[in-house]
Amino acid sequence: MNPELEDLASRYVLDQLDSRERADFEARLLGSPELLARVRELESAYARIIRGLPQQEPPPHLLARIEARLSEFHEEGAPAGSVARFTKWTFFARWGIAATIAVGVATLAIQNLRRDTRPVIVVVRMDPNQSTLAELHLGTRGADSDARFIQLASLAEKYWQNPDALPVSLPASKRMDRAYAVFDPESNQGFIGVQQLPTPKAGTRYYVWIVDTVTHRIRKAGIVPLDGGNGGLFSFSIAPVQGEKSGRLRFFVTAEDNAGGQSATPHGRVVLGGKEI
Amino acid sequence: MPVPDDNETAANEAFLLARIGTGDRDSFRELYGRYSGPLFSLAMRFVGDRGAAEELLQDVFVKIWRGAASYDSRKSRPFTWAVTITRRVCIDHLRKRRRQTSLESPFDETLALEGDGAGESVRSTAEAHEDSERLRGALAGFPAQQRIALELALFSALTHIEIAGRLNQPVGTIKSWIRRGLLDLHDTLSKTSP
Repeated sequence: MNPELEDLASRYVLDQLDSRERADFEARLLGSPELLARVRELESAYARIIRGLPQQEPPPHLLARIEARLSEFHEEGAPAGSVARFTKWTFFARWGIAATIAVGVATLAIQNLRRDTRPVIVVVRMDPNQSTLAELHLGTRGADSDARFIQLASLAEKYWQNPDALPVSLPASKRMDRAYAVFDPESNQGFIGVQQLPTPKAGTRYYVWIVDTVTHRIRKAGIVPLDGGNGGLFSFSIAPVQGEKSGRLRFFVTAEDNAGGQSATPHGRVVLGGKEI
Repeated sequence: MPVPDDNETAANEAFLLARIGTGDRDSFRELYGRYSGPLFSLAMRFVGDRGAAEELLQDVFVKIWRGAASYDSRKSRPFTWAVTITRRVCIDHLRKRRRQTSLESPFDETLALEGDGAGESVRSTAEAHEDSERLRGALAGFPAQQRIALELALFSALTHIEIAGRLNQPVGTIKSWIRRGLLDLHDTLSKTSP
């Protein structure tokens, strides 16, 4: 490897690059297994140095103080009357997903010995006019919430890469703005993939809503974090409602006026996922 | 202690970060259990004050919580990512403190006083910890100036250019010392790991 790249690699690991150098280096990193291997070596060295420092432990109460701060942020950031937590999903690198799936497959295999019921994943497809829902039966079910999350993430990523693989279709349309959701009713978690939303008008933001069609309760609402792009894959989870039997969920996206702060109920124009399911 | 950051560990921790990104507190607590010791030690190394290090560690884990969803495992391992957050939080703190007091950081003062004895604070408390012993041994093998350059790059707010100025060496030499030093440390620590 040439000395210039070696130099960049060590400065990258030590966080000594400016933002432009860093972005350029990351672009090269993603296309070069050799460079990635060198960075991993340097990261190992760096980690050993940090872990080799004289070990000092923080006081036991510190975690509680941190969690109290997290709760404050959570309450500040959530629309009134509902909980917002749509987080941008970052695709695992190949090594990462391979290792986590290896764990997942092992637990799934054990799970298969104990269960024979076929798990159901709800898949919803949305365009500006309508939603179409399907239930997807899987051969295996994740043993626990973590394994199900991996299952959902793999499925959501597969549909992101290849939307034609979605088990629900929509009538042909010239419009490119579409979205899909995969949701596991058992673990109450899922993913929403938003594709090709137009740039929001000034003063508006896109909100995604998940509403129970039986109780009409808003189960989840949040701002779609487009981050300058026009879509993305977002993960979410829904808190179960005790003593309430959930019906089907309706997913839709609206453009909400930003002037009045965060919206607790949908008032704006529906841009994805019309009224019909 | 087993090698802590191999691919399997990194994959597990990437998964924890993914869960934290969805608001999972249990995963956050697990990651805290894994990272709080080394990150607190790093903050202590930067600021040299337990109270300040506790405050900074809080900021670090709040940033981890808020940034977990944007973590990209293709670009760095989770531990490196968390160390970078810690480093930035500590450097911001040192720069603010420097602006407020016009004083050098304790680390810089130590260096200025010790000359070629950089790393003294590592050596003074290293006996209690096996990893620290190995690190101390590995660092002792470096020429004095290279050791200082490496420590400044790792545990101070100085850029490579500033380190070059401090040590009165060309920037290229400093970069080479740091790059070579990291790789040599990796090799030495790998050979001496149990």
